[in-house]
Amino acid sequence: MLVYILLITLMAALSSPVHAADPTPQITVGTQEVSLSGGYLLPHRLTRDHTTKQQGAAFMPSWMMTLSDPIGDSWYRGQVSLGAEMVYIQFQEPFLTHGVGFTPKIKYTFVAQDRIRPYAEFAGGPFWTDLAGKIPEESSRFNFVLTAGFGVSYFLTDQAALNVGYRFHHISNAGTRYPNLGLNASLPFGGFSFFF
Amino acid sequence: MGQFFSRLLIGSMLATTVGLGTGCSHWIELAALTDAAPPTSATVATDARVPLLLETIRVTHNGSSIAPPTILERQVLGAIEATRLFSQHYQSGYSQPALDQARVTVRLSIDNLVEPHAGQAAWRGFVVGASMFALAPFISLNYDYSTQMALELERWDGQIKRYTATSNGSAHYNLFGASPDVIEQLKGQVTEACLSSLLNQVIHDSTFYLANSAQPQDHPIRTVTVGVRRPASHAIPVSRPLADSSPW
Repeated sequence: MLVYILLITLMAALSSPVHAADPTPQITVGTQEVSLSGGYLLPHRLTRDHTTKQQGAAFMPSWMMTLSDPIGDSWYRGQVSLGAEMVYIQFQEPFLTHGVGFTPKIKYTFVAQDRIRPYAEFAGGPFWTDLAGKIPEESSRFNFVLTAGFGVSYFLTDQAALNVGYRFHHISNAGTRYPNLGLNASLPFGGFSFFF
Repeated sequence: MGQFFSRLLIGSMLATTVGLGTGCSHWIELAALTDAAPPTSATVATDARVPLLLETIRVTHNGSSIAPPTILERQVLGAIEATRLFSQHYQSGYSQPALDQARVTVRLSIDNLVEPHAGQAAWRGFVVGASMFALAPFISLNYDYSTQMALELERWDGQIKRYTATSNGSAHYNLFGASPDVIEQLKGQVTEACLSSLLNQVIHDSTFYLANSAQPQDHPIRTVTVGVRRPASHAIPVSRPLADSSPW
């Protein structure tokens, strides 16, 4: 289902006309971005005590506000944006369970290239999952999720972009209950953004 | 402990809701006046006015030259036109006044300085995010804009006068009040204030730009009052006239 949604949105974005006369996206202070991303969570068992191979599809709608005009004159020229993201994960292994979280998110976008814009992002916030309690690593359903990653946006028009990227995902409860080994995973993702 | 975090989460969500409801605000401040001349007006004979040719507008943005935006060219020409000091208004590249016709040629240089406070925005954004947006209404973000204009007016006989003006201002906004419109308003108000200051100086020298420099006295046939259009905002630029390069 998630794959179908992403394919449909991808096709819709690709069918949008490209404005050849104004090829550079004009993203300034106050420009907002809404995006929809999807990916697949792949587990990392970092210690011998980590035994769970949690994995499943992830779905992440987000909103961002651009906080600065482009700064810098070199390859690192870029701008800062802040926003929030919902994350929904359907764990398909080891049990069919669910997780949902809300994370403030900060992003630095490199704008030295006109249409291809790499970015780095960091997000963290509360995360609820019913996977906890059924696995040895986590005991509490109320957790926190921390993600850090990078990606690249390709602007199809001055307002629409396709995104692909990678995130490292960490879920734990900040020591509020034990055991609290934490769940770590990689999350390759793809999606699209609309700027207004 | 879990209950504590649940309550913390609910509290944060409530604060976020209140924040979203009250945080959509912004305001703009322009620099206070230190020594600007008071607004001037004069009465001149209609027939003594000559055409004006806007020859060049040179614009720099944080020291880098950029192509002057069309809207800026219109704003400049509109502000000059609103003074009613000149009989007709031409722009280089379009229709021109006749070669043998007396005219005033205008060259304008605009140096814009932008300070978006990106580092401050990143840090404050991080704090706002870490508070789950509860602090969004209480933490303001800043954007400074300054413009310095140098206006050169050359009379038909080659005599030149130069004027300068500086204006600056800041936009302050909360996260949910940020908008490109806020920044455009700030730039528009600063530019308008600076233009008004420049043109006010030109009006002081209005007789210099008339074909017949004699002021209408007892029996003027047709006259017009010339002056600077008042900016809509409370913009108060700081201006400083340069020493004249002409012998006048």
